Amino acid sequence: MAENLAKFCAGCGYPITLMMLNKTLEKLDLQKRAVLGLDIGCALLAWNFLPINTFQTHHGRVAPTMMGFKRARNNSICFALVGDGGAYAIGLQSLIHAAKRDEPITVIVANNTVYGMTGGQTAPTTLCGQVTPTSPKGNIEEPFHGPEMLKGVIKDGAFLARTAVNEPKQLQEFLQKAIETQQAGHFSLVEVLSFCPTNWKTNGVDTINKLNGLKDIFELGIL
Amino acid sequence: MLEKEKQFLTGHEIVIKACLDAEADVMYGYPITPTCEILSGWSNIGKQYLQTEDEIAAGFAVCGAVLAGKKAFTASAGPGHILLQDAFSMAEAMRLPFVMVIGQRGGPSSGTVIYSQQEVTLACYGGNGEGYRLVYSPSNAKELYELTRQAFNDAWHYRFPAVLLTDGYLLKTKSVFNLAEITKMVNIPAHALVPEDKVVHWPNIYTLEEELNEEINETKKDFSAISEEISKAESYKTDGIEYLVIAHGIVGAVAKMAVDELREKNIKVGLFRPITLRPFSKKQLDDLFVKNNIKNVVVVESSFGQLARIVRDELAPEIDATFTYIQKPGLGIEVEEIVEFMKKLKI
Amino acid sequence: MILKILLAGDGGQGIQTIAEIICRAAFQKNWHVSYIPNYGLEQRGGVSLSFIQISDKVIGYSKFTTPDILLIMSEQARARVKNYESGIMNYDVKDYAQKLEEQKIGKSSYNIFFLGLLVKYLEEKNVLKKEEVYELLEKKLGKKLNWEENKSIFQTCTL
Repeated sequence: MAENLAKFCAGCGYPITLMMLNKTLEKLDLQKRAVLGLDIGCALLAWNFLPINTFQTHHGRVAPTMMGFKRARNNSICFALVGDGGAYAIGLQSLIHAAKRDEPITVIVANNTVYGMTGGQTAPTTLCGQVTPTSPKGNIEEPFHGPEMLKGVIKDGAFLARTAVNEPKQLQEFLQKAIETQQAGHFSLVEVLSFCPTNWKTNGVDTINKLNGLKDIFELGIL
Repeated sequence: MLEKEKQFLTGHEIVIKACLDAEADVMYGYPITPTCEILSGWSNIGKQYLQTEDEIAAGFAVCGAVLAGKKAFTASAGPGHILLQDAFSMAEAMRLPFVMVIGQRGGPSSGTVIYSQQEVTLACYGGNGEGYRLVYSPSNAKELYELTRQAFNDAWHYRFPAVLLTDGYLLKTKSVFNLAEITKMVNIPAHALVPEDKVVHWPNIYTLEEELNEEINETKKDFSAISEEISKAESYKTDGIEYLVIAHGIVGAVAKMAVDELREKNIKVGLFRPITLRPFSKKQLDDLFVKNNIKNVVVVESSFGQLARIVRDELAPEIDATFTYIQKPGLGIEVEEIVEFMKKLKI
Repeated sequence: MILKILLAGDGGQGIQTIAEIICRAAFQKNWHVSYIPNYGLEQRGGVSLSFIQISDKVIGYSKFTTPDILLIMSEQARARVKNYESGIMNYDVKDYAQKLEEQKIGKSSYNIFFLGLLVKYLEEKNVLKKEEVYELLEKKLGKKLNWEENKSIFQTCTL
């Protein structure tokens, strides 16, 4: 299914999300109209992964780029794939305003609580107490809940949801809903709890356990 | 009788007219003096536009729109211009026909709000790259129109991002604009860079140093290949000169008037006025030194040497020239100042 | 021929309104005209300047420091333009205090009073036509509350 061999680390959550996206597009027969914009961070590794139009942008800038694309080509189905840092730190201003304006794009946020590509530094979603290279004594802040915050600015018809890479049925369901929302002319965002064994420094079992533990802090479902 | 094509227009109105005539589809922008009137003017003519949350979003929305095949542009100044360089560097890397109109204001920081020539370096070399972008510096209302049209055409024809580098004085000045005097121009049409009928995978970040290096070399080759064709400069009264004044933008227009006055006083002075700062009319400048025995080059600008640095860099290294400067960062320059300076220089 | 006119007043005194009218009237007479407004950062209450040039040749640069005609409409404006020396005509509000009072001209109409004086001079110099200025003025202010008053001020001043 993948166009090219994945450059993601072994055990990364991103390919699961991307495969699900592709499956959903296939099901809806939308691959030809799909355009995937990538933020900088691990998302950029998806540049030749799927058989759909794909390009890389800058860190934090994928949402406004896809907004510009969508407004220029109305019949395209635009996706902004971004990590938790790109979405909720460096790109937050644009994300809030895209949601506020009800831009008909679909933002897919991979939340693995760390900055994966640069070595696992603290993200806005890092848990309180979590040790990272930039929080050596443990993070002192509470994690940021993106979809919950956006709930306050979206318009009727928009779609906000959270799921996880090990909830394939729900992931696919939410992605489909997000696409349908975009087709109806509204903003959609799906946050996907994802794992990063490389930076979490976890084995297989611990990786799954940690991911499942995140579900207690970041509630799954439609907001 | 008033000719039909003659209008009394501000620089802002002329830019909007040029963008319309260039068949621009959409503007993304954020209000900042002295370019607010371009955004508000464009917002009132029934074309697609959006006032974004900041210049960063405006810049990337322009990138998105051109990727989808629409002629898109933005307008900004000073601190907004700094933020736009984020998207503009992506446009440089991906060779996106991104057009931006910059109304230079004083700097650094928020500086002043109407005038300077201090955004030359930022416009020409503002990214973390090599400055492969097209930069146009109009000296009057007519050029403001023509070079805006040219910027769209060259950007889409040659696939380089383009800056129309002007200032608040030229934008805010209301003057007589005569369409009959404008050189006719055929628009280069836009085309989809991300096509609808096939799949592209388009990186702008590379794993290997060699890959990036190869990419930049390609870009350099393309930029050099078009440089002679699209670089533009005016050499004015440069036959048999002993002194050469170099100035751009509206200072170039002032310098031209100064040259006229000095010529009447029998001072052998001419003007070299770069109209494109990137690419630079290198050969045209070098030739002036080959043909004349120039004693002194006077670079005049409303900045501490941003133009002078380009000139010294572009001038062939074997040419031995003596440089003198009139540099007034953030201030306009009057004809009399140049005339007086040249008279003293001659003594 | 080139005529440089600098108008200076407080923001809100209507400096740019009369500048625009003078320029348009000169433009209608086929002159080359250049006009650039200038004000401080304040949205209200700063000094408002209009740099106007009317010429039979293309105008190369919109600013200047040696106006042929200088209008000063406020204290603040006088301080702002102290380095600008006027060559031919100098209209300063302080020299017209008595006249303004005699004619019972309200502060909000000072600009129309001075527009009248400027137009009178410019018509004598064959730069523009009083009637055309009047038409432009009526188009701009004809529907405003104190139009009758402004109309009569303008007509008196240009006599």
